[in-house]
Amino acid sequence: MSSASLYLRRRITNVIALSLSVLATVIGLTFLAWILWETLRQGISAMHLNLFTKITALGENGGLANAMVGSLIIDFIGIAIATPIGVMAGAWLAEYANRSKLGETIRFLNDILLSAPSIVLGLFVYTIIVLPSTALTHGNTTFSGFAGGVALALIALPVIVRTTDEMLRLVPSTLREAALSLGVPQWKLTTQILVRAARSGIITGVLLALARISGETAPLLFTAFGNNFMTLNPLDKMASMPQVIYQYANDPGDAMHAMAWAGAFVITMFVLLLSLFARLVLSRHKISHD
Amino acid sequence: MIESVTGQSPGLNPQVAQLAAPLAPTKIQVRDLNFYYNGFHALKNISMDIPEKKVTAIIGPSGCGKSTLLRIFNRIYAIYPKLEAKGSIVLDDENILDPSYSMNRLRSKVGMVFQKPVPFPMTIFENVAYGIRHHEKLSKTEMEGRVEQALRSAALWDEVKDKLKQNALGLSGGQQQRLCIARGIALKPEVLLLDEPTSALDPIATGRIEQLVEELKGEYTIVIVTHNMQQAARVSDLTAFMYLGELIEFDRTEKIFTKPGKKQTEDYITGRFG
Repeated sequence: MSSASLYLRRRITNVIALSLSVLATVIGLTFLAWILWETLRQGISAMHLNLFTKITALGENGGLANAMVGSLIIDFIGIAIATPIGVMAGAWLAEYANRSKLGETIRFLNDILLSAPSIVLGLFVYTIIVLPSTALTHGNTTFSGFAGGVALALIALPVIVRTTDEMLRLVPSTLREAALSLGVPQWKLTTQILVRAARSGIITGVLLALARISGETAPLLFTAFGNNFMTLNPLDKMASMPQVIYQYANDPGDAMHAMAWAGAFVITMFVLLLSLFARLVLSRHKISHD
Repeated sequence: MIESVTGQSPGLNPQVAQLAAPLAPTKIQVRDLNFYYNGFHALKNISMDIPEKKVTAIIGPSGCGKSTLLRIFNRIYAIYPKLEAKGSIVLDDENILDPSYSMNRLRSKVGMVFQKPVPFPMTIFENVAYGIRHHEKLSKTEMEGRVEQALRSAALWDEVKDKLKQNALGLSGGQQQRLCIARGIALKPEVLLLDEPTSALDPIATGRIEQLVEELKGEYTIVIVTHNMQQAARVSDLTAFMYLGELIEFDRTEKIFTKPGKKQTEDYITGRFG
């Protein structure tokens, strides 16, 4: 084959590959835009101040304030439990157990937890926290925001373990050697240098986990249960955005549907803005290693 | 301090005996060193005397084991599994390969600088202070003095004195490498190991590092691995040529580069292979 026709073929292949990847990107973004547009269109009639200030007990005349506050509290509990455990476990996997059999096994089990159906985790927390504490309170049900937070922590945990592990393993081994050659012990190296070097990746993992749990409904049904009134007490039943959206979507009233759509829009925007914020903050902190 | 044993003990590996009249007292005495990577015999019966406060260069083609040898001198290889060193490396009367030899002590006596500059993700000041803090408790002023002194010795002070609080990752490659040297000498080591310290730098930054090596050798015993023969010729007092895991020849630099004793050495330095 002459080189001219070889170049031509390459150019054609390039155009085809580029078109396909642009097409794929467009498809992905179309759905995102469509989801945002549709939730906004359907929910626009419920988009007013009441949505953020009134509680669900008022029904059609109310808002989602208690669910928003509940979601923030439950998600916060979930992330607050999962982050320290997840980062430490990830650091252990990457730095202490990297090529050991035990490490490989735990990595595998973590991946299983990562793909565990969330309703199973909800039921699990129901059995280990809600039921036993019901026994303690002589039969008063003890659904709570805290139990919901624990269920969400179980979902966030494997995400954080995985990203921490991967981000630490991306840190060049020369950085480890440089610190160890100064006589710095392994634990100092891990906590003061490697975690810092992988910081932006680890924070991204935590935010991804937060985005993931903020949309979870199933695990909250058996744990936080829901509450039509505003509460800040994590030991009380607590409303959450996904659970209220689920409830309102099953309601016959159009006004309730609109409120569910508006809630869905708020939650989607929250996740979107969170990701954008994370990118903004991290890109400012990031300085290339090469 | 061990006096050079060159020519004193009979039956010594002939490679050691090649080094005629010693330049200086021996700082590191390597005897019958063998090294295995996962069972692969990477270094074969290396014996050499590295003199104190001189620059010893190790040259040889890629894969000859020069970096491996250097990485045994501070036992950094030991952080990876399945690597094994046999033989002895005596630093000031004690065998550092002895498992009871304190790693803290070894690493504060032997500093190392790597191929690519690897500053820690912290400020310039902290990069230098970090290692010191692990070994010594100093007051704030003492620490500032030590950091300044280390940065001055590494010929970096004038460039960074106004931005000590800035992130070290913002420095240029050559500055980062000098920062790594400052970090190493801040611990006041006796030996400085340089593993191809200029291979990632441009010619100007390389020149500064070489000049720095020249300045530092009055105080430190320096061992430098380089694949750049001109560099070895420029900076070192002694040169070791290695090939396929063996120490082929070890002698004064000017002799290695003008009238090498072995044909393999001559072939390598005249560019016939490697």
